[in-house]
Amino acid sequence: MNLSRREWFRGLSAAGIAAVAAPAAHAREAKTVHPEDVGMLYDSTRCVGCRACTTRCKEVNGLPLDVVKTDGVAYNAPEDLSASNKSILKLYKNGETEAFVKRQCMHCADPACVSVCMAGALHKTQNGIVAYNKNVCVGCRYCQIACAFDVPKFTWNEPLPLIVKCEMCRHRPEGPACCEACPRGAMTTGTMAGLTEEAHRRIGNDPDKYDPKIYGEHDGGGLHVLYLTSKAVSFENLGLPDVPEQPIPQTSETVQHTLYKGFVAPAALFGLFTFAQYFNERRRQAAEDAQRENKS
Amino acid sequence: MSEHQAERPLGGPIFTPTLFVLLAIIFSGAALVCYRLLFGLGAVSAMNDGYAWGIWKPLNVVTFTGIGAGAYAVGLLTYVFNRWQYHSLVRSAIVVGAMAYTLGGTSVLIDLGRWWNLWVTFYPPLYNLNSVLLEVAVCVMTYTAVLWVELTPPILEQASRWKYEPVRRVAKWGLPWVRKALPFVISVALLLPTMHQSSLGGLYMITPTKLHALWYTPWLSGLFLMSCVTMGFGAVVIVENLTSLNYRRRMDQRLLGRMAPVPAMLVLSFIAIRLIDIAVQGKLPYIWTFDFYSKLFLVEMALFLTPALLMLLRSVRKNRGGLFISGVLLVLAGTVYRFDTYLIAYKPTTGWVYFPSLGELLFSACLASTGIAVYIVMIKVFPILSGVPSRKKPTIVAQA
Ligand code: SF4
Ligand code: SF4
Ligand code: SF4
Repeated sequence: MNLSRREWFRGLSAAGIAAVAAPAAHAREAKTVHPEDVGMLYDSTRCVGCRACTTRCKEVNGLPLDVVKTDGVAYNAPEDLSASNKSILKLYKNGETEAFVKRQCMHCADPACVSVCMAGALHKTQNGIVAYNKNVCVGCRYCQIACAFDVPKFTWNEPLPLIVKCEMCRHRPEGPACCEACPRGAMTTGTMAGLTEEAHRRIGNDPDKYDPKIYGEHDGGGLHVLYLTSKAVSFENLGLPDVPEQPIPQTSETVQHTLYKGFVAPAALFGLFTFAQYFNERRRQAAEDAQRENKS
Repeated sequence: MSEHQAERPLGGPIFTPTLFVLLAIIFSGAALVCYRLLFGLGAVSAMNDGYAWGIWKPLNVVTFTGIGAGAYAVGLLTYVFNRWQYHSLVRSAIVVGAMAYTLGGTSVLIDLGRWWNLWVTFYPPLYNLNSVLLEVAVCVMTYTAVLWVELTPPILEQASRWKYEPVRRVAKWGLPWVRKALPFVISVALLLPTMHQSSLGGLYMITPTKLHALWYTPWLSGLFLMSCVTMGFGAVVIVENLTSLNYRRRMDQRLLGRMAPVPAMLVLSFIAIRLIDIAVQGKLPYIWTFDFYSKLFLVEMALFLTPALLMLLRSVRKNRGGLFISGVLLVLAGTVYRFDTYLIAYKPTTGWVYFPSLGELLFSACLASTGIAVYIVMIKVFPILSGVPSRKKPTIVAQA
């Protein structure tokens, strides 16, 4: 039997949550995309793979080039998202079919990285960007474990390391540089409401070309980066992971909130342990006394 | 004051060849730590963006404190379930626990990339209460302190016999106070592991797409809590055996044997809960795919089941070797479960590979050696172990 990894979390939402949360509380509410929040839309059918976006991304973020020498000529040839690449362009090729995909942080509506970060180094800003504040980051790298898209990267070889990830160019008043740099309008920015509408419009205008699904509209509880692809190339082909529609932090937070609600359970346990000791000690004393009396 | 003085120091020379070997490992580990501080984590470890926690979390933190959970396990049995006969095992277990937790904490400190920002864990306004890791951090730090507080009675007892008058006076003055506060300290010492040992499983509840279906469950917290108790019992059996083999003391085989059904039943319930949960979630077919993960799962289950069944046999409980092996298997099963969840059954989306570097192994060995060295010194100097024959003249040991 062949069970693929994408099945791993199937059944989680129904059975899992119910099993844990049934006796006590109900699931913590999902955080959703707000229509006015900023986001980005990547249309794989428009992208020609020029990498203007990723080059510009490096420039505006002051990230070093990943130089690879081929035949004496130096190229900037990054392989994947890394501490020096907040954004990456990847190629899918299968015979004649070719498609590109741009990857960067998805700016989840309900981000796992924010849920796990102990002092809010990764946090959600007013307009929906998932941002990083190095001053309260302890470098635990739990965000790397938690992110279903493997986005946060770590500067492993620095004595004073950092987490590196796309912050939607929040330091630039003009907004995302990659969207500005794209000559084909494959990567665009705007409000989530605007982008979703635009994505639906493109699918509606050319239903033969486009896959009817907008990746990120519901995946992972909603992402701030939406993806369109052609019918010929699936989202899976593009390497976009299959994630549940239920936001990932929901399970852990529901369990955690249930166990620690008002600190009642821990306080009760403390009381129980103290009482048990007191009670047991008295019983032990009584037994000792009885023994002594028997002897005399 | 020494009316029921069941525990005595072992005495004997401190600087033995064993200690020198341990010290050598400790110092090379310390050098490695300096190197890491200067050149970053990448310079000493094979950890990468895909396997961001490597072996240090599952081994130094989660396995070590699982072994250190003997204090929790025996404590629950003695104080809450009123099995006072096991009281003679408590002190030794607390020393093991104190060391395991101190070292686990040290490991985290070295492993934190931006360790200087650890102040945030002492500053509640910044707390993100959704973070399971925050719970672990605060709780483990507190518990480590509590374990050492639990060790003040033996330390003061010994100090009240030292030759320096002021030390004696302070110790004698302090002891009644400490004894009075002890029940509350013990309650805290039982509460905190309940919290963080379950959270150590809860940490991976955020990885439904990365952790294999046979390990991912919303019950991770409960399963980690149960398995830390069984590991703790196993560790107590191991340590009791080793100390009586290596030193002049008598081990109470009957006592350990009588305790054995407790972890055995716990393991059986652990297995039952896991299987039921897998069935309820409709993931049973994963068990018999016989791919790598299904085999891993079966091996893990066998590792849990074997010591449980052994410990239910009276012949094994009476047999010193048999019980010892069951103890070892208990610890091993819990360790494998922890490694599977944290590392082996965990898979990042892109093609990362990870194999621990020599540096990572050396640092873990350094921590383990520190634990063993301090434990040995502690049982020689302080009244920790029971079953130690009394000496007419206690040897005066060097006090540094
Ligand atoms: S993609 Fe990953 S890093 Fe980005 S917001 Fe979502 S969880 Fe965080
Ligand atoms: S490494 Fe930093 S940003 Fe990531 S979870 Fe830890 S504290 Fe937060
Ligand atoms: S938004 Fe900015 S940081 Fe993010 S991928 Fe685009 S250019 Fe890079």
